[in-house]
Amino acid sequence: MVKLLDDTKYLKYVLFHPFDGFYEAKHREKGNCALATIILVLYGIIGVFRTQYTGFIFNTEFRYNLNIFSLFMSSILPMILFIVSNWSSTTLMNGNGRLRDIYVVACYSLVPLILFNLITVLLSNIIIWEENLILAGFNYIGMLWFVFLIFSGLCTIHEYTVSKNIVTLLVTLVAAIIIIFLCVLYFSLMDKVMSFVSTISVEISKRW
Amino acid sequence: MRYKYRIGALILSLVLIFTNGVSVSAQTTTDDNYIYDYWRVVKKSVPAFELVRTIDEKTMDVTISGFDDVSTSKDRIFLIDTVESRLNILDKNYTFVTSIKLIRNSDKKIVTDSVTGNQLVLTNPEGVWYHESQNEIYIADTGASRIIVLDGEGYFLKRIIERPEDMVGVTQFKPSKIVVDKANKIYIVVQSGFEGIIELNEDGSFSRYFGVNKPYVDPLDYFWKSISSDAQKAKMSKTYAPSFNNINMDHDGFIFATTIDSAALNMVFRLNPKGENVLKQEGYLRVTGDIYPQTGRGQGNFVDVTINDYGVYALMDQGTGRIFLYDFDGELLNIFASSGNLKGDFKAPSSIAWFGDALIATDKTLKCAYVYEMTEFGKAAMGATKHYYHGEWEESARLSQEAIRLNANYDLAYIGIGKYYLMKEDYKSAMYYFKLGNDRTYYSKAYNGYRNLWVQDNFIWIFMAIILFAGLLIYSEVRYHKRKA
Repeated sequence: MVKLLDDTKYLKYVLFHPFDGFYEAKHREKGNCALATIILVLYGIIGVFRTQYTGFIFNTEFRYNLNIFSLFMSSILPMILFIVSNWSSTTLMNGNGRLRDIYVVACYSLVPLILFNLITVLLSNIIIWEENLILAGFNYIGMLWFVFLIFSGLCTIHEYTVSKNIVTLLVTLVAAIIIIFLCVLYFSLMDKVMSFVSTISVEISKRW
Repeated sequence: MRYKYRIGALILSLVLIFTNGVSVSAQTTTDDNYIYDYWRVVKKSVPAFELVRTIDEKTMDVTISGFDDVSTSKDRIFLIDTVESRLNILDKNYTFVTSIKLIRNSDKKIVTDSVTGNQLVLTNPEGVWYHESQNEIYIADTGASRIIVLDGEGYFLKRIIERPEDMVGVTQFKPSKIVVDKANKIYIVVQSGFEGIIELNEDGSFSRYFGVNKPYVDPLDYFWKSISSDAQKAKMSKTYAPSFNNINMDHDGFIFATTIDSAALNMVFRLNPKGENVLKQEGYLRVTGDIYPQTGRGQGNFVDVTINDYGVYALMDQGTGRIFLYDFDGELLNIFASSGNLKGDFKAPSSIAWFGDALIATDKTLKCAYVYEMTEFGKAAMGATKHYYHGEWEESARLSQEAIRLNANYDLAYIGIGKYYLMKEDYKSAMYYFKLGNDRTYYSKAYNGYRNLWVQDNFIWIFMAIILFAGLLIYSEVRYHKRKA
């Protein structure tokens, strides 16, 4: 518990000094997987929070059916997909980061996104349509900060140059597409198998 | 004892049945009416108009093969029968006045051609227009490629307009639908004429083509055409400007036009004198009739449009036989009628016209025209729109309340009430109604007012908080520098 508090304080340092911060997180074991998981879950919750509590003026979300679980997952799954595909491509491209390091970098980088999303959700309840530039501005700041953190973090843990990092990120994209393709393939096959089994069982139960 | 209870129960149930039947806004319709909401979801609705009368052979002395166009004056209805080549005229009580096939001059003599000696007869006319200010009837005599102008009272021949000598372009002069504006300019729609509406001067000379329609261009098509050679291009199908199929005029003198071409960007046009489309489309949906829920693209096949004096226009959809009512802002008011085999259903709807507060819709194959009048809900909804148009907010809001009582899915009424409260600067109520009507633009306006009032009321607290914050800031700075020193 004390370690978690210490690491949270260290997180603040990482946000403003990403190169040093992520270096120490990797080599001096200052990154905390439990803290990273908490941040990831918070990010999922903020995704739900945003659809539910954005002010009426800015909230054009479809209101007839709202599934908290799928909203939560639609925030988290892209991150997990990114982590896995980045790991699987960088291990082939001389990246020095472990899966654990990538996880910590990706999750720590989400913190500005969470904070600025929270701010925009709260702000959207007290501003009018003409002031929507404020919201867009805050969103851009959060996004830029997030991109900068994750980019510098990946550079540091994999010990890459900037150009190499960009190349691996492109490869990551391809890897992500392949993973999605395999998932779809798997689920459609499983669907076929399930329907086959169920038809067989219905057939058997009807005969005997 | 038990017997007594039974009679009591019977009476009670009868009372319940009958009162229930009456309280449901006096609707006898079995129509499955609907409307689209903010999220393009189909919601149940109440029809604003119901069928009250059928005009068919029984009300006329002549044979009818179907009506192709209808025009109305204040007290008469003009119906065109293309197959029988007749113009049938009814008065305001829907009783038959006369039917015109042979054209007579002012001496009641049949007009004959000076060269051939043939009698002047209507030949498959497709359009009619009653020109109020000159009291004239314009008949688009399509089969004979001419326009025949009759006197509005005596129905005798005034003049014939043939193809102008100075007409340019490749469009054939086969007038199908016709409109005459307040300056006596004649606008003619030719079916599948891609050059636009033909505009003639009062004396029948050619003025110009008017209001060219833009086609929807598929980006992929555009790409292939841009890289293909001239020889390839010659083999590809050409994209023509979609043609107009019907026109009408609103009380401001703007030309309304419809198109049936699925390649058109817009389905309905309100053309300004320059020929540009100035139709307001500020509703949840664009003015396209039915939509495909997934893409939101319209699937309307409109054959006719008619506009009343407070800007509500009715569109007749050929494919589904539905009539769409839009107000002057392009908000969808109501959808009613349908095609089918039941009484009051359409087979091949052809035309529609306002007749006072009633709507007259004609059918090409059913040999009849339908007269629709407002239901209780229609009176409330249309009344609210009318008073809103004339700037009578209070009456409009009252009728909107009534409309909501009869049809809670009628979003426009919530917005109407909201606008009334916004005018009265009752921002809280305005916000409540705009939220119910899903109108974010006006909600934002109401909220702006509400927020300003809130800041005024609580100014002292906000001011104190700022002072406190500034004080803390200065204090911490001072302490920091002291410690450093």
